[in-house]
Amino acid sequence: MTEIEARHFKELYKKQIVNDQLRANLSKATLQAVDSRGESFKEVDFEFLRKQAKMIREESVSHLNQLLSQFEDHARENGCKIFYAETPEKARAYVLDVAMKNNVNLIVKSKSMVTEEIELVPFLSGKGIETVETDLGEYIVQLAKEKPSHITTPAIHKSRTEIAQLFHDKIGTEMNNDPKFLTAEARRVLREKFLSANMGISGANFLIAETGDAVIVENEGNARLSTSSTDIHVVVTGIEKVIPKFSDLRIFMRLLARSSTGQKLTSYVSVLRGPRREEEKDGPREVHIVLVDNGRSSLLGTEHQEVLNCIRCGACLNVCPVYRNIGGHAYGSVYPGPIGSLVTPMYFGEKNAPDLPFASSLCGNCTEVCPVGIEIHHQLLSLRNEIVAAKKSRIERFLFKNYRKTMLRPGRYRMMGRFARMFSKSALVRRMMKQWTDYRDLPEFPSQSFREMYKSGKLN
Amino acid sequence: MEDDREKIFAAIRRGLRKDQHSDTERDGRSPLNTPLFADFQMRFEKFSDELVKLGGEAYVFSDYQGISDFLLEHITDDAGVFLYDEIREKYDRALSELKSTRAYKLSTDFENGYDKRDVAAFGSAILPCAACIAETGTIVLRNNMRLPAALATRLFVITEPARLIASLDELFTEKFRDAGGSNLFLVTGPSRTADIEKELVTGVHGPKEVYVIFHKE
Repeated sequence: MTEIEARHFKELYKKQIVNDQLRANLSKATLQAVDSRGESFKEVDFEFLRKQAKMIREESVSHLNQLLSQFEDHARENGCKIFYAETPEKARAYVLDVAMKNNVNLIVKSKSMVTEEIELVPFLSGKGIETVETDLGEYIVQLAKEKPSHITTPAIHKSRTEIAQLFHDKIGTEMNNDPKFLTAEARRVLREKFLSANMGISGANFLIAETGDAVIVENEGNARLSTSSTDIHVVVTGIEKVIPKFSDLRIFMRLLARSSTGQKLTSYVSVLRGPRREEEKDGPREVHIVLVDNGRSSLLGTEHQEVLNCIRCGACLNVCPVYRNIGGHAYGSVYPGPIGSLVTPMYFGEKNAPDLPFASSLCGNCTEVCPVGIEIHHQLLSLRNEIVAAKKSRIERFLFKNYRKTMLRPGRYRMMGRFARMFSKSALVRRMMKQWTDYRDLPEFPSQSFREMYKSGKLN
Repeated sequence: MEDDREKIFAAIRRGLRKDQHSDTERDGRSPLNTPLFADFQMRFEKFSDELVKLGGEAYVFSDYQGISDFLLEHITDDAGVFLYDEIREKYDRALSELKSTRAYKLSTDFENGYDKRDVAAFGSAILPCAACIAETGTIVLRNNMRLPAALATRLFVITEPARLIASLDELFTEKFRDAGGSNLFLVTGPSRTADIEKELVTGVHGPKEVYVIFHKE
């Protein structure tokens, strides 16, 4: 198992939580996203859409073998090459192989969480193939040699001044922190990359079983260019992204953009059906679709199966009070926030992220906004339960066993009450409970129990 | 390279044995809270409202001169115009003045393929569309050249009123599913980003300006 930063969550979040600038950036951005989301749902029946989406996703995941097989058949008929990868290593090796066979030296890449998950860009760059992130936010974090801190807004943690300085240092632009200027500079630099590149990589938001289509939603136009301006297009995505029907898009298109950015529809939706046809004058000549498992299939049949229904909208991040205070980098995973706290231990192993399920107040905001009805906070609680049970702490087990006995036997309960009243004032006991009392109050016990007070007539 | 298909399918089968669902019955109702837009005028008003909110513009012209004047007014640079051949055939009368005053290329000029730098040089692209969607102010493109609409600074779409559909419910149907071609592109306003402090900026990679013209005869 590859070690990931999420293992060190406790150290990471302590660094982030004291960064006032970060908290201000996050607060502004997430609250704005929450407002836009609310506004955008006024025109449609959210509960109707959510119910339909949940049913379709449940159907998709519980028929995964049939639907994947159907998708594969149609995508092959459309002229695509399909590759299944159980592990990140296998997926990376395949993409490298495609690039090497075609003498690729420059790849333009659009946003894809799965490519982040399998660390594709550093891998390809390490092999001498320049791989450029073309989504503005991803481009910013790539220049900064950082990782995205939000599923849909990767540079949410950075202020305009920080970005201006970064562009000045890395691509030689003048110091100007106007987002319009910075965006125009990115367009200028990246346009040249699109025109020079000989391979494009993208993710896919949905794979349609009945047609073999890969569907990509975005706002900037970089995914359109990454998928259309080169001779080779490689889609890297998770096996769970398949949905049964083309007509199901009427539900998901209305939910995804609203939940993610508060738009009715993203600026661009590309429904891609394989390489260019004979009568078409552009578009890729080769399309490869890499379907990555990386732990997803192990969730099937478990109580965490519904996590596979996620459509990666990022709505749960924007409403999470924990995320809003510590930001994405604190999670030490490409998947931050409430959904990240679930997905990270599931995809990368619980040992890699033992604390993430505890990085939640369990307020339930995440569940309330989830467009596919995942019970995120219940899932977190269940994961906590598994982690605690696996730890098998002798002290905890001893304490809870005795707590149970005490609550079941009145005599024992009275005796323990007397002990508690006797020792709770002791400085020694309070010192022993420092870890608890550092963050919580331990109120003093009254000198008599309720029963004793009642018997002595003090309550009359 | 050998892939992991069999291993992954075996793992899926092992998991799914414990949890099988039946097929879902789809509810075909529209999720829109307001009724669908019955006639062209109502649909156009909704389409135009949505597009304007996003920074685009929509117009209805009943004469060729109106289209011609509009294009001349909005294409003011010398960066060149990409004209989709289907548009030239249908709207030649509206384009004659434009063609005499602005550098342009037709899609048929690229019969034998092209270098993407040639297309990137165009300032404007004038295209037909498969449909427009009133609900969201969206243009649906299904053309045999993908890049002009993605690379031009200004995107013009000229189409007829019959192509204006009410909602996404009409788009995601068999008609568009089975229309052929390798791609279906939905364009909803200018290219945009809010990646820097959530401030909205248009024109990050794709067109900065989007205009839709309905020619109502």
